[in-house]
Amino acid sequence: MSIIAAIGLGLVMGVVFGVLLEKSRVFEPGVIVGQMQMRNFIMLRIFLSAVASGLVVLALGQLTGIIPKLDPKATLYGAQLLGGFLAGVGITLAGGCPGTILCQVGAGYRDAVITLVGGLGGALTFAYLEPTLRPILLTGSPGKLTLHGLLGLPFWPLALGFAAVLIVALYAMERWRPWRTELGDNADGVLPPAERAEEKAKAEAVPARV
Amino acid sequence: MLGLKKKAWSPYLAGALIGLLQVPAFIFLGTALGASSSYVTVSASLAEFVDPGIRALSYASKYLDGAKNWWQVALVCGIAIGAFISATLSGTRRSAPSPVWARALGTRSTAARFALAFLGGFILLFGARLADGCTSGHGISGIAQLAVSGFIAVGAMFAGGIATAMLLKPVR
Repeated sequence: MSIIAAIGLGLVMGVVFGVLLEKSRVFEPGVIVGQMQMRNFIMLRIFLSAVASGLVVLALGQLTGIIPKLDPKATLYGAQLLGGFLAGVGITLAGGCPGTILCQVGAGYRDAVITLVGGLGGALTFAYLEPTLRPILLTGSPGKLTLHGLLGLPFWPLALGFAAVLIVALYAMERWRPWRTELGDNADGVLPPAERAEEKAKAEAVPARV
Repeated sequence: MLGLKKKAWSPYLAGALIGLLQVPAFIFLGTALGASSSYVTVSASLAEFVDPGIRALSYASKYLDGAKNWWQVALVCGIAIGAFISATLSGTRRSAPSPVWARALGTRSTAARFALAFLGGFILLFGARLADGCTSGHGISGIAQLAVSGFIAVGAMFAGGIATAMLLKPVR
């Protein structure tokens, strides 16, 4: 694929991705910090839904031959544990992920532009430090390990089974606490303090039960 | 049209549609959705103006050219455009930092938020590049491919995110 075609395709896919991230509200810092404090589960709902549908389409793609080859990343225990942990610290402090920061910029959050500049600085710093870090953290990969590879099974049955488990979990999550209750008045995931919310729920629940 | 004027869609529907974006990514580029390596492509391309020697770094040079790298840069630019359109149509354009920060940080100071935003962005991308992926690449794409790297990185991300969030003030 030529670079121009790739950029055109990226823009189209990106616009769709951006609309979906914005409509899902997962780009809201209130949703992210709320999730990390286990007070708001909108992020987990979106994340697990995206994983479940990805599992299904990749399984179907493999079965039909439309997607002949997957592209899993190599396992690097130290780098993924430490890098993942640092990324998690950053997710909370930034109130977003590398993709959703751009969504925040598009939605207008002024601080997101600064997060973006910080992100570019972090990525560039890593690029310059990579030769130093490589012998310590970025060597000795056991390869592109996958669960189906370790179990010696084809991808699709495991993927479809896992997707089914996720769908049941999402269904249970919605029964436990409907997503709309976590949206907040301004659709930013910022919810009233817990005590007041409980009182309000009680006041609403009593007449409903009569 | 298409519910674009609504402020929020069901997270299950929006999430499932995000997962479907894996199909064009694999069919046209043979790869999965990701976002964090575009930060290397852009920052290293800018750095090249002042430091042409950056091309000699094998890591940076991997991300400087090629359809896949610039596809991802276009993807994240598209995200900003899509978010702008979506927020404009639904009347949820933002300006000041989210009110969640006043609660989590215990201060309304914009300077404090800006400082933390820079630090957060820096650690986020440094960590994501060290781990070789972010919430998209390791999260929605890695786990959807049953990659061991995805499960490890996502577990570590939640550990780091929860540990940090617990040090902040409760947001509700």
